[in-house]
Amino acid sequence: MFIGTEQLTHTYMPGTPFATKALHDISFNFKQGDFALIIGPSGSGKSTLIQHLNGLLKPTSGQVVFEGKNIGSDKQELLRLRKRIGLVFQMPEEQFFSETVFDEVAFAPRNQGFDENEVENKVIEALEKTGLDPNELRMRHPFQLSAGQKRLVAIAAVLSLNPEVLILDEPTVALDTAYRKNLFDLLTGLNHKEKLTIIISTHHLDEAAALADRVLVLKQGELAMFGPAVEVFGRREELYSLGLALPPVTEIMHGLAEKGMPVSTSVYTLQEARREINKVKRRDRS
Amino acid sequence: MAAQPSTIIEAKDVDFYYPGGEDADSPALSGINLTVNQGEYVALVGPNGSGKTTFLKLLNALLIPTHGQVLVKGISTAVESTLPEVRRVCGMIFQNPDNQLVATTVEEDIAFGLENLALPPEEIRNRVFKTAALLGLEKLLSQPPHLLSGGEKQRVAIAGVLVMEPECILMDEPTAMLDPAGRRDVLNTVRELNRNRNIAVIHVTHFPEEAAGTDRVVILNEGKLAADGASAEVMTDLQFLHGLGLQGTTAVELAALLRQDSFPLPPQILYNRELVDSLCSLGQNS
Repeated sequence: MFIGTEQLTHTYMPGTPFATKALHDISFNFKQGDFALIIGPSGSGKSTLIQHLNGLLKPTSGQVVFEGKNIGSDKQELLRLRKRIGLVFQMPEEQFFSETVFDEVAFAPRNQGFDENEVENKVIEALEKTGLDPNELRMRHPFQLSAGQKRLVAIAAVLSLNPEVLILDEPTVALDTAYRKNLFDLLTGLNHKEKLTIIISTHHLDEAAALADRVLVLKQGELAMFGPAVEVFGRREELYSLGLALPPVTEIMHGLAEKGMPVSTSVYTLQEARREINKVKRRDRS
Repeated sequence: MAAQPSTIIEAKDVDFYYPGGEDADSPALSGINLTVNQGEYVALVGPNGSGKTTFLKLLNALLIPTHGQVLVKGISTAVESTLPEVRRVCGMIFQNPDNQLVATTVEEDIAFGLENLALPPEEIRNRVFKTAALLGLEKLLSQPPHLLSGGEKQRVAIAGVLVMEPECILMDEPTAMLDPAGRRDVLNTVRELNRNRNIAVIHVTHFPEEAAGTDRVVILNEGKLAADGASAEVMTDLQFLHGLGLQGTTAVELAALLRQDSFPLPPQILYNRELVDSLCSLGQNS
């Protein structure tokens, strides 16, 4: 097992009248190099699950496994673990606290005890990985940046430690379509070229569905579905009954199929849809 | 020129500069002229940083124009003594429901604005119950808001605005944080209020599907008005949208690709169903 959980259960405020079971008996396993999606209605436990994967939250029972080993609760171990498994929170730019972009990205490497030369290299490399220009931006105040640039700085701050796994909680909230596309291009690049394992939670499947190797669906803290994207997105009625949606293009293909057009419904991008419709229509005409 | 009787909002030659900013000579908004009438449902669209949120804040006097003026039912937002009336007419819903719920129960939260008007308790209770019933929140009145789903929280926020008997609801990406079911829930609620109570809505969104579902789309780009027209027209002008880095609905985007492949599709396709129907009727003719 590369990264996943075994019978993970998490209860918030256990032993108090406010005890709330947020996750119940979750077992799954993402492979190294996966582009994985975690989806589910609001309150289904996505953020709680994500925060277990780099040891920010500790299981009430069960375990979180990384490279076949229980990640445990030793502080030094967890510090080392968080270098390898980076987590980008929802709306991460709301947590900026530094005066310059450089200091913001340098926070984690400094915290891990690297000397200033190494810190400098790591900051520049991380900014470059996200497509930002270090020379132009390093001395700027983070709040002077555009919404899309801020989001990238927050991701650079996590990439500065060269993690092997990058987890992002709702990474595209409040970004416009151009920035959203840019962000997914970046994640695709990190996944393909840098071989990073990417795990994201999202409500918006426009871009994410086509990239996903594996999809995990949560329902009220329980594992509702887990499997390859084609399999999970094939279970349309179940997804609907959870209040979830299919990728928009897939909805159109289902519409066509229902009207008797023999198209595949395992289609997640505009270009795939275009090819599929052309294929079927050409066959019609010939 | 005097305001028309049915005019709710009038922006006249509005420029806005954020004070003290490094970019003191580049306005956040410039030369904006816009009139919104009673009962109109307007989508406000544009890339990140184009001035959408700034403009929305100008409409309920959270910000005051640097030059020009904003009139809400003929009252200038720059006049301090009439601010309560301006804010009653134009209520604001923000992106993150967690940032705008203030009380410990749903009932108190909805009542918050009324309490500030120093109305008699009976009157407050009546209005809160009536509003809650209208939005299907009766059963939640004694619940703490933080235990509600995202969609429910946004409906509570809408109730808190609605109870003030507004004539216009301003919404800044109200569905950005919501799951698909919550999103539908909020959009349907707002649409009903717009249709049945003739409340004007100005809805900032990055989702082409949401913009397509309104009556009128206003596009901002770099602080200037770039388009203002019927949704069906603006949202099908793909060349224009792409030029600004925006997208059309999935149906509009796919239809455009298929037209390139010489599918004779009608130009007004906006929704999935229209695309599906058109494609299927092509099949029957060939």
